[in-house]
Amino acid sequence: MRRLRRMWKRALGVLGGTRQQQEITAELESHMQMQTEDNLGLGMSRDEARREAVLKFGGVASTQESLRDQMGMPGLESFLKDTHYALRGMRKSPGFTVVMVLTLALGIGANTAIFSPVNQILLHPRGISHPERLVVVRTKYDKLNLKSISDSPPTFADARDSRAVFEHATAMRRVDVNYTGGAVPQSLHAAAVSAEWFDVFGARPSLGRTFTAEEDQPNTNRVAVLAHSAWIRIFGADPAVVGRVIELNQEHYCIIGVMGPEFQWPAAVDVWIPLALQPKAFDPGNRFNEGLTVVARRRPNVPFAQANAWLKVLADRVLNARTPGAAYAKNADWGLFGVPFIDFSAGATKTPVLILLGAVGLVLLIACANSAGLMLARISARAQEMAVRAALGARRGRLIRQTLTESLLLALAGALVGLALAYGGALLLLRLAPEGAVAGIGASPDLYVLLFTAMAAIVSGVVSGIAPAWQLARIDAHGTLKGGGRSSTAGPARQRLRSVLVIGETALALMLLVGAGLLLRTFAQLENVNPGFEPRGVTAAVSSLPRKQYPDGIRQAVFYREVLERLTNTKGVATAAVGVGVPFSQYGGSGSFLREGHTPAPGEAIPHSDRRYVTPGYFKALAIPLERGRVFTEEDRVKTQPVVVIDENLARQYWPDEDPIGKRIQPTSGEGWYTIIGVVGHVLGYDLATDSGEGVVHFSLFQEKQALPAAWILAKTPGDPTNMAAAIREAVQEADPNQPVHDFKTLDEMVSNSLAPRRFVTRLLGFFAVTALFMAALGLYGVISYSVTLRSREIGIRIALGAKPESVLLDVLSQGLRLTGAGVAAGLAGWLLINRLLASQLFKVSAFDPLIFACMAAALLAAALLASYLPARRAVRVDPLSALRAE
Amino acid sequence: MKKKTDVWQGTLALMVLKTLAVLGPQHGYGVARRIEQTSENLLSINHGTLYPVLLKLEQEGSIASEWGVSDNSRKAKFYRITKAGRRQLEAEERGWRQASEIVARFVTLRGVEE
Repeated sequence: MRRLRRMWKRALGVLGGTRQQQEITAELESHMQMQTEDNLGLGMSRDEARREAVLKFGGVASTQESLRDQMGMPGLESFLKDTHYALRGMRKSPGFTVVMVLTLALGIGANTAIFSPVNQILLHPRGISHPERLVVVRTKYDKLNLKSISDSPPTFADARDSRAVFEHATAMRRVDVNYTGGAVPQSLHAAAVSAEWFDVFGARPSLGRTFTAEEDQPNTNRVAVLAHSAWIRIFGADPAVVGRVIELNQEHYCIIGVMGPEFQWPAAVDVWIPLALQPKAFDPGNRFNEGLTVVARRRPNVPFAQANAWLKVLADRVLNARTPGAAYAKNADWGLFGVPFIDFSAGATKTPVLILLGAVGLVLLIACANSAGLMLARISARAQEMAVRAALGARRGRLIRQTLTESLLLALAGALVGLALAYGGALLLLRLAPEGAVAGIGASPDLYVLLFTAMAAIVSGVVSGIAPAWQLARIDAHGTLKGGGRSSTAGPARQRLRSVLVIGETALALMLLVGAGLLLRTFAQLENVNPGFEPRGVTAAVSSLPRKQYPDGIRQAVFYREVLERLTNTKGVATAAVGVGVPFSQYGGSGSFLREGHTPAPGEAIPHSDRRYVTPGYFKALAIPLERGRVFTEEDRVKTQPVVVIDENLARQYWPDEDPIGKRIQPTSGEGWYTIIGVVGHVLGYDLATDSGEGVVHFSLFQEKQALPAAWILAKTPGDPTNMAAAIREAVQEADPNQPVHDFKTLDEMVSNSLAPRRFVTRLLGFFAVTALFMAALGLYGVISYSVTLRSREIGIRIALGAKPESVLLDVLSQGLRLTGAGVAAGLAGWLLINRLLASQLFKVSAFDPLIFACMAAALLAAALLASYLPARRAVRVDPLSALRAE
Repeated sequence: MKKKTDVWQGTLALMVLKTLAVLGPQHGYGVARRIEQTSENLLSINHGTLYPVLLKLEQEGSIASEWGVSDNSRKAKFYRITKAGRRQLEAEERGWRQASEIVARFVTLRGVEE
């Protein structure tokens, strides 16, 4: 308590000022006089009395000093003084301050803008408590080249019952449901989840409640929880929505809760409904029937490796038990493993996001180098002042602390401006980002982001202050003063340091430019890839028929035939078709099959392929070339011989030396044999950059007896595809007015969307690279410009002696080019170290593409020429007389 | 003449407080003189060391000060003990007595005679 009071008094003392000083002096003086008088009374002479008093007191000045220190807080005072001094310096040279703050703001702002989504994607997904403890359980069939797929109900049950390892486990299946309560029927993204779903994620509803275990049973499962976005979009954020009954797939569901805006998983979900698995779904025979995403929460004391090992134990148990199909699974190298949830949910966005983070890191480094250069220039300008202060006894540490205070203050100001920039940047970023990749991600900075920004500010403050401070530590007061502030001995050293900084900046800028250039080239290469079909003029829309009205393939076929008939008769439609799975739709059905006359040997992989269900017009609509045999006709229907059309990859893989036409195959999941009637060209299904090479089996949609999930209706026109959406909608409405049709897109858009993440990364990297180029040029300009000032005397003499202006110009330009050349060389060396980071994002472009390197080096040199031309022109105009006199 | 002793660390505050408590308000010089007198000139203190102690005690709220006029009509700063100061003095006296008793016991310890 007493101590606290004393601290407070001392803190107040800092503000005390001169009055306190005077009081101390007065009090000590009165003490001295009283002692002197007493001494006089003892019979001493006046001088003697005074001297005795001083001796008795023992050092007036040191007492005064110690009282002064004790009165305030010396550390705080000198800090305040440094701050005050720095602020005064900043006010005195506003140009310097503005450039410094803006440079750092750009660097810090860009980092904050990128860090915000990185944090939400990779570090702290919102609305999920302790995301690091979540594990996604995955299934693999190594021999079938299925590396990571969803799980079966028995696997979910195993994870749920592993109480020693997992606190909770939950399962989810995505389904699309038709909502018919609004003006037009619309399709919603639903997730059928087990009752534990929200517990696993630690997510609480903002209204109402979530599912109970009883509601997660067949027949009692007519309840729904709304996602925040759907609640706003469909129900206008009505707080009384809980308790309302809505119709989904023509069944009644009661809304029991609404989740907050922070929890929206799986991505883009509109509504959660209970999974309500039938008891027989858990039969051992269902073990290899995958379709559930299983997420489990580890117990706090169970490390990830242990959870993963446990999943392997579970899998071995299945293989060793007499599970139906275990032998087959063993052959296919079936297994279970865990993936940390964040890795799973970040998926393919992880690498690009990290690349961007690295790129902005480089931009910040460049910004720091630039501001360090500026600070150095300022120190040069103030060398005389610093030398005087050093000569007057200012300690070196004090001068260094002052420089760091100044750079930290500037960085802090930069961070504040940067935060505003970052908020705008993040908003822009989210708008430019590919659809779905940033679902549920907000732009407003949270605590993590603010902390990150503060860290970035401190780091960049120290980094940009350290070089100048180091220079200060070596300041030679004697030499500087003797030189009268002219071309002092420390000047060239500082200039050398600035040159090194500029070379470093140029190197970093080259790396960024090359990275951006390579991505740009990759992008151009991808746009030239032939996907194996012709997307032009084709419009697609999704229709998902509810099981209740369309329980089997035959009834679905009636509907699709009717739609196609109307579409074909619409003006402008050249071809119409339906496909369950069209290229670039993200739909990926696949399965295994047996070849007639081929019994797989134990350990031999079972043939596997992608599967599509298509109508006869499909191949024509997409212009997929027929290589052999024939495609489907209207005659291939339920009652006729079951037929399939395979693609060239499958033909090459399984019938390498024979004609596959007429051969028969049987899907392992179904019964009956299908005859191969045709071979068509291979089509890229998902991505222009990567082709798994997996073959495709096309089934005739009109021969399918089972009901199929969502189907794509395709309409091709030779003319303008904008009218096609209306044509498709009309045809569907006429066939069944209750059925929604949604997700209208041209195939061109679908192909282009598959490039969206790359386009996004390429654009951003391009932007950062241009920023880097600009900053490097600015840094070079600063150095050359200052060097011209330093050398104005020398240049003046040379001109006076008759040097031609061109030679002076060339001299200055060549200085700039030399620095940039060194930077380019250093950048090349740097690229050798980091090129592998980008390798996974490149396509048909070498990481050392000479063309890109040449272009980027040329761009840098051009910028350097411009940056040194401006000071060079000034050098040429140096007036010999005034230059000499200025000294 | 007896040998003069230096002031032990931390005891000066006690002496200042006690002096002010017994003799009432005093200026810095007065306090220094009284301490010397009380110790019968056995203690040698540099008067300068007294002022930091006075400032510390004032900042802690144990004493308060105001400017006044001394006996020989000279302007001086007078210190007086506060309530909090008296409490502190009591506590320190207790602590001091205890400490000196303990030390005294050791000093008077006699060796066991064989």
